[in-house]
Amino acid sequence: MGARILVVEDNALNLKLIKDVLEFQGFDVVTARSGEEGVAVASSSSLDLVLMDLQLPGIGGHEALQRIRADSRYREVPVVAVTAFAMKDDVKRAEAAGFDGYIAKPISVRTLPEQLAQFLPGGS
Amino acid sequence: MTGGLREPTADDHGRLVRDHSDVVEQLVAADAVLVALGRSSSDADADAVMTTVAESARRLCRCQGVSIYLLHGEEFELATTVGLPPEFRSHVAAHPIRRDRETMAGRVALDRRIEQVTDVLTDPGYRRDVQEFAGSRTIVAAPLILDDEVVGAISLWRANVEPFDERATAMLQTFAAQAAAVVRNLHLVRELEGRQRELARKVEQLQALNEVGETVGSTLDLDEVLFKIILNAVRFAECDGGSIMEYVDAERRFLARTTYPSSPELLSGLRKINIELDVTLVGRAASEGRPIAISDIALVDRDVHLELLYGDGWRSVLAVPVLRHGQIIGVMVVRRKTPGNFSGDVMDFMETFANQSALAVSNARLFRELERKSAQLEVASEHKSDFLASMSHELRTPLNAVIGFSEVLLERMFGDLNERQDEYLRDILNSGKHLLELLNEILDLSKVEAGRMELELSVFPVRGVIDDTIALVRERAALHGIILSLEIDPALDLIESDELRFKQVMLNLLSNAVKFTPDGGHIAVKAARTDRRMTVTVSDNGIGIPSEDQERIFEAFHQGRRGPSREEGTGLGLTLCRRIVALMGGVMTLHSEVGVGSTFSFTVPVLSADGSVEPDNRDDTDPVVVVVDDDRRSLDLMSAYLDGHGVRVVRARDGNEALDRIRRLQPVAALLDIRLPGIDGWEVLEALQADPETEEVPVIIVSILDEKSRGLAAGAVEYLVKPVGRDDLLDALRRLRVLPGNNREREL
Repeated sequence: MGARILVVEDNALNLKLIKDVLEFQGFDVVTARSGEEGVAVASSSSLDLVLMDLQLPGIGGHEALQRIRADSRYREVPVVAVTAFAMKDDVKRAEAAGFDGYIAKPISVRTLPEQLAQFLPGGS
Repeated sequence: MTGGLREPTADDHGRLVRDHSDVVEQLVAADAVLVALGRSSSDADADAVMTTVAESARRLCRCQGVSIYLLHGEEFELATTVGLPPEFRSHVAAHPIRRDRETMAGRVALDRRIEQVTDVLTDPGYRRDVQEFAGSRTIVAAPLILDDEVVGAISLWRANVEPFDERATAMLQTFAAQAAAVVRNLHLVRELEGRQRELARKVEQLQALNEVGETVGSTLDLDEVLFKIILNAVRFAECDGGSIMEYVDAERRFLARTTYPSSPELLSGLRKINIELDVTLVGRAASEGRPIAISDIALVDRDVHLELLYGDGWRSVLAVPVLRHGQIIGVMVVRRKTPGNFSGDVMDFMETFANQSALAVSNARLFRELERKSAQLEVASEHKSDFLASMSHELRTPLNAVIGFSEVLLERMFGDLNERQDEYLRDILNSGKHLLELLNEILDLSKVEAGRMELELSVFPVRGVIDDTIALVRERAALHGIILSLEIDPALDLIESDELRFKQVMLNLLSNAVKFTPDGGHIAVKAARTDRRMTVTVSDNGIGIPSEDQERIFEAFHQGRRGPSREEGTGLGLTLCRRIVALMGGVMTLHSEVGVGSTFSFTVPVLSADGSVEPDNRDDTDPVVVVVDDDRRSLDLMSAYLDGHGVRVVRARDGNEALDRIRRLQPVAALLDIRLPGIDGWEVLEALQADPETEEVPVIIVSILDEKSRGLAAGAVEYLVKPVGRDDLLDALRRLRVLPGNNREREL
């Protein structure tokens, strides 16, 4: 069984794409369509990594991160942001907010698994 | 006369002595008159000089009395008299002496020469009353002639019959000339005083107009402008109050806009009544287009407006129309608490003032309209940008899925593909990527046009960044056998710019070059430094661009006719690049020849962040001026103004950046905007003043706010209110001795 990854993404098609690609690479994928749902999924399961879109309806990526981190089990779990624009400001803000890294859209299905593997201990 | 010399007699001797003493005395008298004349500068002084003349005449001509008259029209006015009782003055005032034959003064004025009457009692035509007052018997008189015009007369008399001899009449001639000089002097003085008064009034008028002008310049508030206008009108016309009525064309009536002194009661009273065009004083002044005065409201038929004023204690009123291009704008009313006329001067001035006010009012209205329009435009432009931003986000999300799924299939993650499926999926992928690029460029362009594109400045090594972008197209170029060469000026090292945007421009030009260069062609990239600019050129030996298309390819959605292209472009790339380069403070140009190739060049200012990291210091001897403004257009403008004046402009976009740059670079001057994001200009100024390292840096405030005194009090050396002209800015810097005298020479 590969590492368990939570993907939080509000667009169903993009979510499906990421899920399929990651599952193809052998990851165990759970999904959420909003920040609130992501927080709920995190609290009810144990995760190795979270991939979080920043532009989410409702509480948004930054707030969801704070809530997930509030759970002591998730202090050290890597949370990676997905940003629409690779603008330096967004990156800086994401890092300052406590994200472990960021991936710029459009996501490349070829390189995504490798990009995520960097954040996992010993790779997948 | 040939009879030889005769022995002088004792008689002769006596006469000579008398003549001599006469001459001496005459000289002394003349001197006294001249001295008095020199001192005279008013009517009172003139009287004193006339008296001096009269007294000298009486003494030297040995007579009992002397009178000097000045002619006004056909009547004489007694200027001075010696030897007559005081009642004589009131007597001649009541029974004037005229230019006729009844007196000696009248006769000489008519005949324009000296005349004598040996015994007036034998002259039946002479006025008895005048003779009796003086008790005169022998009278001699001379006209006062000035510029060939009789202006008065001087008459001398003796109480006994003893004719005046030649000597006496000759002296009288002199005294008449002296008296005429006094009159001339008096005229000159009066004229001068008149001119002075006129000048003083002109100055006052100008001051009043100027004040109104300044108000219009400094405020967009129409009511404030109108209040200033009526305040000045009232002051100048020396009235007690006034009001301005605005004409409401649709209702053919006037609405009170403002009153001075400020009186809410009177203003609301004026607003309640119906001041119609046809039946009121105000209306008549407007429709007849001339000032109308009423010297006593109590004595006339009062319209509603006058009735209200009368009830409020006003007695005289002047209504002046305010017209612009013949259209009635309104009426200006000034009034007094006392009855009385309004002088022609006041009426004239009020008319000028009303014209100026019409201009002021229409300017203020224009300002107001302009402000409203531009606020609307700004809102509309924001809506447009917001719309585009959200639209492109909405469009991008499904495109990401299109691109992603085609990639998944092309990767054969879920099974193999046949050749045609592979080809179609590549088409889908490429179309998706093309659409995404187009979307990003539309969004960027709309940001630039809305003035919302922010450059993120950082210091980066220019060589590395150019290498990186070349690496991105190298593979594609190699596929077509295109040779890529690069040449970078060793003087180029670190530059301060927006790295991402710089890459975007480079990549766009390189991609275009690869697209339009035939297989086996050549692309040369050069980066060179000239003065404070870096010029990057991308040349190819492709098909070239016809001259008629060279400007059009920079327009949105014009791809030009550049022959066969390897791939489709968006038609926005060059438009965007040119805008970005302009934002960076540079220009993009094109040189191309059909069949030879194309060269795209762009320049960007090299803003070395710190003199110490620049190994080649050749340009850093120029003094630095830090320009602080959050508006890019203002920054560009200031930089353009200072370009070529031997200073290096370093920009700062907010308060913190300003403090950082000023501390680090110790500029010879800083241009500081007040409205800044984060810490504002006032705080920046305060921080600079509080720091011993920066307190000496001269700060010129350049702001839309007009708070000069606050600025100077806070420590600024100059205060310029936006919009600032080139000369204003350069003059201010010259006053600080920041700008070298003639930079052109220095550069040569």
